[in-house]
Amino acid sequence: MAPSRGPQPLARTLHATLANHRGPVHVARYAKGTAKYVLTGGQDRTVRLWNPALGTEIKVFASHGYEVLSITVAHDNSKFASSGGDRSVFLWDVTTGVTIKRFSGHMGRVNAVEFNQDASVLASGSYDATVRLWDLRSQSHSPIQILEEAKDAVQTLHVGPTQIIAGSVDGHARTYDLRMGQLRADYIGHPVTAVVPTADHTTYLATTLDSTVRLMDSSTGKLLQAFKGHSVQNYRCRACFGHAEASVVCGDEAGAVWAWDLLDGQAMQPSPPPRVHEKVITWTEHHPTDPGEMITASADGTVKVWRHPPK
Amino acid sequence: MHTSKLKRKLNDLGVNASSSKATENFCLIGTPLPPLEKRDAGEFVPLWKQEVRDEKGRRRLHGAFTGGFSAGYFNSVGSKEGWAPSTFVSSRSERAKQKQARPEDYMDEEDLAELRESRKLVDENDEMDLVGGTQAELRRRAGAGEVEKDSIASKLEEALLPPPKDSVGAKILRKMGWRPGQGVGPRVTWRQRKMQEIQLAGADASELKEDEEDEEAKKHMYPARDTPLLLPPRKEDTHGLGYTAGLKLGEIVSGQDEGRQGPRLSAGFGLGALNEAEDDDIDVYDTDMRSGRSHMAFDIVDEDEGRPSASRSSRQATAGKARSQTTQTSQTFRDGSLVIPGFVVVDEPLVEDRWYPIPDVPKGWKPDPRRVWQKDKENMEKAQQEAQALPKPTTHQQWKTGVTPEQRGAVLGETPIRAAPRSVFEYLSQKDRERLKNISTNLSKPDRVPKAEPIVEPPPPSSSVPRVDPRVAKAALQGFQPFTSDPVKQSRYATFLKAQADPDAPLPQLTPLPGQRAEDFQKELQDYAKAAVVFKPLSAAMAGRFTSASVVETGPQISEGLYTPAFEPEKTEEEKAEEKKAEEEKEESPKAHAARLGMYGSMTREVTPWHPARLLCKRFGVKEPNPEPLEPEAGPSSPAAGTGANKWTPEAALADASGFTAGSTSATDQDGAFVPPAAAAGYMSFNDAQSQSTGGIKSLDNVGLGEDETQGADVLTYERPPMDVFKAIFASDDEESDGEEGKDDTNEKMDVDRQGPLTTDGTVALVKTEKAVVPSHLAGAPNTTAYAPSATGVKEEIDLATFKPTFVPRSERDTKKTKTKEKDKKEKKKKTKTLVSFEVEEDGGYDVALPPKEDSKKRDKDKDRARKKKRKEHDEDEGKEDDDSMWVEAPPPEVVKTLGAIASASSAPEPNDMTGGETSPPRGRKRAIDFM
Repeated sequence: MAPSRGPQPLARTLHATLANHRGPVHVARYAKGTAKYVLTGGQDRTVRLWNPALGTEIKVFASHGYEVLSITVAHDNSKFASSGGDRSVFLWDVTTGVTIKRFSGHMGRVNAVEFNQDASVLASGSYDATVRLWDLRSQSHSPIQILEEAKDAVQTLHVGPTQIIAGSVDGHARTYDLRMGQLRADYIGHPVTAVVPTADHTTYLATTLDSTVRLMDSSTGKLLQAFKGHSVQNYRCRACFGHAEASVVCGDEAGAVWAWDLLDGQAMQPSPPPRVHEKVITWTEHHPTDPGEMITASADGTVKVWRHPPK
Repeated sequence: MHTSKLKRKLNDLGVNASSSKATENFCLIGTPLPPLEKRDAGEFVPLWKQEVRDEKGRRRLHGAFTGGFSAGYFNSVGSKEGWAPSTFVSSRSERAKQKQARPEDYMDEEDLAELRESRKLVDENDEMDLVGGTQAELRRRAGAGEVEKDSIASKLEEALLPPPKDSVGAKILRKMGWRPGQGVGPRVTWRQRKMQEIQLAGADASELKEDEEDEEAKKHMYPARDTPLLLPPRKEDTHGLGYTAGLKLGEIVSGQDEGRQGPRLSAGFGLGALNEAEDDDIDVYDTDMRSGRSHMAFDIVDEDEGRPSASRSSRQATAGKARSQTTQTSQTFRDGSLVIPGFVVVDEPLVEDRWYPIPDVPKGWKPDPRRVWQKDKENMEKAQQEAQALPKPTTHQQWKTGVTPEQRGAVLGETPIRAAPRSVFEYLSQKDRERLKNISTNLSKPDRVPKAEPIVEPPPPSSSVPRVDPRVAKAALQGFQPFTSDPVKQSRYATFLKAQADPDAPLPQLTPLPGQRAEDFQKELQDYAKAAVVFKPLSAAMAGRFTSASVVETGPQISEGLYTPAFEPEKTEEEKAEEKKAEEEKEESPKAHAARLGMYGSMTREVTPWHPARLLCKRFGVKEPNPEPLEPEAGPSSPAAGTGANKWTPEAALADASGFTAGSTSATDQDGAFVPPAAAAGYMSFNDAQSQSTGGIKSLDNVGLGEDETQGADVLTYERPPMDVFKAIFASDDEESDGEEGKDDTNEKMDVDRQGPLTTDGTVALVKTEKAVVPSHLAGAPNTTAYAPSATGVKEEIDLATFKPTFVPRSERDTKKTKTKEKDKKEKKKKTKTLVSFEVEEDGGYDVALPPKEDSKKRDKDKDRARKKKRKEHDEDEGKEDDDSMWVEAPPPEVVKTLGAIASASSAPEPNDMTGGETSPPRGRKRAIDFM
């Protein structure tokens, strides 16, 4: 799409509703690769595997004793990891549906969990204000390293090829650069609930609890764009990039899905967007390849798959 | 010998060595034999020696160290080891027949016998029952049913044979004519029986109708009704006896127990023969009736046999009367105990205090009386007035002690009573006081004594002021104040002391109080003087040795009593807002300020060094950003690295290797065991190090050198290089036979010597690399031998796990020196041959990291290989030569042989090579091959 025409409009036609969760859904992630499947985790202590195209549930992974707050899928889709209120990180085998490993060591609920690119390291960020990096290659149950710089609960994590970004309630987005051996802490001022970098890792999107999504420059820490209009003040509502990183998508606490043009920061039409979920939208994730698909998870217990209307 | 020495010594000491005392032996060897006479059985044995044996003569009650109770191999446990521990059995398959361990499993025969006996007893007990309706009976009947008895037979049997077991009491009763189903006791008339029936039914006895009786019935006597068994309800709660749930105190007291009508009958066997409430049947513990009645042993009621009901009612009435009478005289508590005379049992129920729920405190409420003050200004004004009225706020101490009578009097405007000033000395007798005075005056300066003496005299009415030493007075002023409890006296004391301390100054002298008698005043002054002497503080010299206690303030100061905040004037809204703003600004860091203003960037960014864990870097495939300095680079260890050849990195090596392999021609040779330049340099550096008495600096290049003692430790700290490197390094070690290598090394040195001024290996290497630029192989030829791989080890795959370089003693190597020298010379001649063979061989080479600058070496190696091949041929021709003697290895594989054939074909026009090889015949022993 030519840049002059702006970003592609957001997929706003409901394709399927994944509604087997009882209680709020906290996280919904696409699988890797062609991303044909969706993994969701919710308050009902289960992780569910869905086929978003058909809207059918494929499998339920139930081993958690508490709510599931975060899921990450390995690069080869053979494993995934989930974490939540039970203070440990579960590493699952997708096909057998059993946990391969459970990493315990966190003192509080684990808010975020993320694989690195080849799923050899698992990072988990917790309410205990630490990020623990677990080695998946060895059998050890102690973390490789504990990042204890955060002053408050770590809410979100992103693990890039050479860096780890952790967003914390203390208002910082901390970038641990492995290659340079330095820690860059960007003070945003409000609890950071989600950090999503662009594919080239030059900028990142930080969702904060002041109803703002900010596009920050990774190298300088400068604010490139602020996206406002929605209301996120109490819940973790993860914002994400739209297709081709031309837009920014975020759900709000009222249940509406907002979209902004990345370049000018203007909310895309319709603005304000219609309310599509009963409760707060906890997670939005755009399909990694398909320009016309996106999922939203909400506290009303449903995950909705959005597509463009068929022509 | 020793004993003799000892004897001599003893002799010296004057002890007779031959005396029995000197030769006495204290050592006992062996065990004393038992006494010959037999022990008699009844001999006293201490308790701890006694043994317990069972009827079979087995020992029982072992001690803890001999097996414990009933344990041991010979007694009860089946094995020498004792109890065999239960082995683990998977419960997965055995779950169905999982066996519960019974106590019997752990019993020996004695215990089992005991158990059996006890069971027998139980069974006998079971059999005894009255009606024959027990389980045993039923079981018997059920069993009988199985045998298919017909009903009549069984009925007959049942009728004829009474239930076999009866209690003794039942048997006796039976003998006395009692039948099951009847009541016990004398026979009664029809009417009485009817009465009983009605009573049992719970109806009123007066309901009985006369006319229903018929004549015939009256003529007979009937057995009494069977008494229904009183079944007390099972107590299943944990309340105390007599407690009724849900009853409150008042109700219990007020409840007059309406349910109870008549006298309580004592429940028991035999009641019912005459079911009237006889005195005997009346519960003797039922005290309701006791007051009005006298009990007799045999109180036969014969009021009216025919109308027991009437008698009963009348009795009841009398009882009620009696009770009403007794209430005036004596009362009983409900539990029957008499009320103490003079007390009256309360009639109406106790009214419990009503408790009101505590009003809930509104959220965020703080005990702040200021609010109340502000609410009603009057109050506040009053408080202010009060505050003005009371200039000194009372301290807690004052508050606690309360208002003293004096204070109260002052408040009330009373004229204070001039009581004698209170002092300890007041309470002393006159004599004691004098004695004390003497003591105190003696304690004080001796020169004061004569002066004090006249003062002591009680009679002088003249108001002679007792003198106190100014120093003492001054000190006493600063010291302990004895009269603090009496402010008036204290002030007078202070005045007195001041006057005494500075007698010359025109200070106000103490004057007697109005209305004080002269002698009282005199006494007061004396008291003061004494007190000053007694309570003067320690002298400076002494005081210097002490330090006054100091309180370390930790934590907030706690003030006792109710919190009474100081009154603060209320601030206006603007002031508050300003304050808040100021606070915020004070708290806000510049970072936060910048973030608030949206000035993200350098202000909000903090960059700190962070050290990722090594393993993390490894997992992420990232080079460690700031690794600890490992070892110094290879440069200094090998001067040959001046060209950079030794700066070996896996990446570079890989890149180089790829280029190298790409450029190499495809050939079938497997002889890829060439030495990478790094290794070559390593050799050189090794040599260098050797020359420096093995104290050389280690580098990557050194790795793999067999004679380097410290290499192992070094290697462990590195990450494992790719396999190729190992192969390259170790293969070189392996395949270029060390013997040859050693030779070559020495050879090289010699060459160097021959060549010119270069004296060290490092410089040799330099020379070599310089030579490498020269395309001609001739120039480098003399050095080539350094990297000649062993002819025999060509095809060998090196297993790193089992690989172990072996070295040949130097002496043996030296023997071959000359031979190789000659070879070198030969090889110079046939460079074309080697070139050909290089191309052939190179292809099979390993993907070895090889910097391009080492081309010359490569070529050298290639040449070497070619030469080796030739030698191989030669070896094959000649049989195994010296190399074989050193490296006992498998014969070269077929490929090599064929290759060798090819090579030989190519090198056909060099017969002299062979001869050259032959010209250096193997030293030492001859082998069979030599004779072929």
